[in-house]
Amino acid sequence: MEEEEAGTMVHTNFYCHLGNWGILKKLEQWFIPISMSPWKLGEKAALQALKANPYVDMIVVDGISLLCTDLQVDPQDIVMLVVSWHMKAATMCEFSRQEFIGGLQSLGIDTIEKFREKLSYMRSELRDDQRFREIYNFSFGWAKEKGQKSLALETAIGMWQLLFAEWHWPLVDHWCQFLQLKHNKAISRDTWSQLLEFAKTIDLQLSNYDEEGAWPYLIDEFVEYLTENGIVQRPQN
Amino acid sequence: MKRKRAVPKPILFGEGWEVIEQGVTKMKRILEGLPEPPFTSEEYMKIYTRIHDMCIQRSPHDTTEKLYTKYKEVIMEYITSVVLPSLKDKHDEFLLRELVIRWSNHKIMSKWLSRFFSYLSRFFIKRNSLPSLDEVAFTCFRDQVYKETKGKVKDAAISLIDQERCGEQIDRGLLKNVIEIFVEIGTGKMDYYKNDFEEEMLKETTAYYSRKASNWILIESFPDYMLKVEECLRREKDRVVHYLHATSEPKLIEQVRHEVLCVYSSQLLENEKSGCCVLIQEHKVDDLSRMYKLFSKIDDGLCRISQIYKKHVTVEGTTLVKKADDVASNKEAEKRVVVGLQEQTFVREVIELHDKNMPLVNDCFQNHTLFRKVLKEAFEIFLNKTVAGSSTAELLVNYCDNILKKGGSEKHSDEAIEQILEKAVNLLGYIYDKDLFVEFYRKKLARRLLFDKSANEDHERSILTKLKQQNGTHFTSKLEGMVTDMTLARETQADFKDYLQCNPRTNPGIDLSVTVLTTGFWPSYRSSDFHLPFEMTKCIQAFTEFYPTKTNSRKLTWIYSLGTCNITAKFELQTIELIVTTYQAAVLLLFNDSNRLSYSEIMSQLNLADDDVVRLLQSLCCLKYKILNKEPNTNSISSDDVFAFNSKFTNKMRRIRIPLPIVDEKKKILEVVDKDRKYVVDACLIRIMKSRKVLNHQQLITECVEQLKVFKPDLKLIKKRIEDLINREYLERDSENLNLYRYLA
Repeated sequence: MEEEEAGTMVHTNFYCHLGNWGILKKLEQWFIPISMSPWKLGEKAALQALKANPYVDMIVVDGISLLCTDLQVDPQDIVMLVVSWHMKAATMCEFSRQEFIGGLQSLGIDTIEKFREKLSYMRSELRDDQRFREIYNFSFGWAKEKGQKSLALETAIGMWQLLFAEWHWPLVDHWCQFLQLKHNKAISRDTWSQLLEFAKTIDLQLSNYDEEGAWPYLIDEFVEYLTENGIVQRPQN
Repeated sequence: MKRKRAVPKPILFGEGWEVIEQGVTKMKRILEGLPEPPFTSEEYMKIYTRIHDMCIQRSPHDTTEKLYTKYKEVIMEYITSVVLPSLKDKHDEFLLRELVIRWSNHKIMSKWLSRFFSYLSRFFIKRNSLPSLDEVAFTCFRDQVYKETKGKVKDAAISLIDQERCGEQIDRGLLKNVIEIFVEIGTGKMDYYKNDFEEEMLKETTAYYSRKASNWILIESFPDYMLKVEECLRREKDRVVHYLHATSEPKLIEQVRHEVLCVYSSQLLENEKSGCCVLIQEHKVDDLSRMYKLFSKIDDGLCRISQIYKKHVTVEGTTLVKKADDVASNKEAEKRVVVGLQEQTFVREVIELHDKNMPLVNDCFQNHTLFRKVLKEAFEIFLNKTVAGSSTAELLVNYCDNILKKGGSEKHSDEAIEQILEKAVNLLGYIYDKDLFVEFYRKKLARRLLFDKSANEDHERSILTKLKQQNGTHFTSKLEGMVTDMTLARETQADFKDYLQCNPRTNPGIDLSVTVLTTGFWPSYRSSDFHLPFEMTKCIQAFTEFYPTKTNSRKLTWIYSLGTCNITAKFELQTIELIVTTYQAAVLLLFNDSNRLSYSEIMSQLNLADDDVVRLLQSLCCLKYKILNKEPNTNSISSDDVFAFNSKFTNKMRRIRIPLPIVDEKKKILEVVDKDRKYVVDACLIRIMKSRKVLNHQQLITECVEQLKVFKPDLKLIKKRIEDLINREYLERDSENLNLYRYLA
């Protein structure tokens, strides 16, 4: 892509490809060129990346609000996470032009109505075990700060509560409480992904939990916390 | 005239038999002990020939078969008319005697008869596959005599054995002969012996010893009971030698052992008054050796003893731990001397416990691996507890320090010291936190070396050698580096002296000796922004200029907190040389210029932290020697105090060392060790994964634990480090099998 022309070219290509339809107007609204954005555009790293290629536009917070209004969906709705996943978005609350357009293409969306219809399909994807796992694991990288290796505890808790509302895990509240009491630090990717395995495979009496297995240390501590505080009575064997 | 060949007249059976009959009668008479001369060769030949001739006759006169039948009849007749009646009404020993005679006679009869009739064996018997003459004779006796009498004979024999067991004298020769009959009657197989005699004999033996043992167990002590066991086993073996068949020995001994030992083994071992535990406690070596020998022959015997032994040693060791704990909690923390003494006592007592137990394991328990193992396990159990708030690694270091330093509380000969150090190093073998030992040892060694408190350099090197032998070169590399530094320092000092002579301008006018420490070897010391007294700055300058002439590209960092100073103090009545630390000297030198100084003035002049200043001032005016006076004259330092030189100080010595109490750096040392362990575990995990590429969780943990010799890793620590390595992308979890790790190059 050539410099000055890059932004325009993409736009043009896009137009040519999709023809002249109403979404055009919306795209213009959603995409706020960097020089005009009143909102902070993420981390230093992101800024630098943007500086390197100033013609990659981003949809950021404002744009996302608008997007959600048009889709008739709450920005906090978990379906937006699924959307982000389809778009392979790198970070929450941001879509790069590439991500967004690539996502729309792969979903076969070319009208707002189709986008809205797709939402219910996307919601159903959460019911599928394998999909849910993929989306769950994706959300770690998506929710964390760019350039950080671990996920801030507050954010993690928020995500867990969101995700486990869809796939019900009875111990999620205890888990969050435990973390705030005993851990109070960021969550590693390994712990994040292993937690889902834990929730899926270990029964609520913790009878099939093996402390000597490869579970992360934090989960070992959680099990201890549950038994010590009498929240779960583990059968003695 | 025709010549007729003379055809011998056929011998008719009845006629022929007469001769044979004579022979048989003669033989019977001999057997009965009647006066009868023995057979001559002619008589034998006559009978043999007669039979021979009768056999070769042509039919209808060949009477071979009839002779064969007659042979058996003769024997049967003799048995029924003579042998059986003679046995019929006899019992016990009389029966046995008679049977022995009859069997012996029968063998003789069989021998003679078969000689007479031996022609039958050549062709007739073979051709017709008939039982041989011997077999026939034998079978007759067995089926007629043996089968009839075997029951009574067996009872009689067993009853004799019992009598002997009860202490009576019996005719062993007779018994031996009788039992041999049981053996011989089997012609090579032991079936008759086993079924008709041995089985019942063993039963009877079992019953006998069962009764005896049930008696003994009530009245005998464990050692005495064992003596009885030994005795009866010996007697039974003797019995086998003298009259039982050798094959009976293992079965017999096992039965006896079972009845007297196995059945009661738990009761015996656990006897409160005289059982295994008591014997160990009272160090009864003979009884323990006996016990070992006896119980090594029964299933599980040694295993159980070893468990009792292990428990005993563990309890003794744990008692020592508790004793030390109690002393520490009773005394106030200030009486560190007493606590220190208790620590010394603890280590010494543990060594003594070990010394006491080695002969038990080596001699009584014949150095059996099982016992070596449980001794090790027992020591590991109690030596890895905290004692009086400290780890045993630290206590062991203090113990060694006491032996190796000048003025330690124990006085020993060189040889004795060698032995003690050897034993101390042995104890380290049981302690898991060996890296903690090294760290504490380093600290103590540093003090000994730097403050010239080491009593004997040979001993210092000797213990390092022993530690190296036990734990590898890497274990002692830093310590050896420290000792080497001291040697190098002496050389450097000599060179420095030369340099000063050659460069008199640089000479500071004060005797300066510098020890250069290689950073990695020595414990890390805090550096501070201490204000060096101006009297000393020229010294430092001189050395700083000299050192690069010796080696280049080395950075010198001065640790004044470790220095010593000999300072002359002019008191009113005397001049005394004070041996103090550099910091203490700095405080004193301030009083060259001022008569009185406040706490804060001192602190700002020296530029040291509060805790250092307090310690320093305490050492100079609140402890043994009052070099400074303090207002108010309390026993503790406060920031409002004012200090003055105590010109009135006197002492009968011309030279005094003013000690500065050391700060307890235990916490810092534990932190250092913890931090090091993380690196060690990381390195170990990476090493394993690099070579194995893929490994499951359990195996990784197991291998890691195996490879780490210098401390026993906490499983939680290893798990945490694995997670950290995952985070740092050295490892990853396999996507299919979450228990599997993969190395990421």
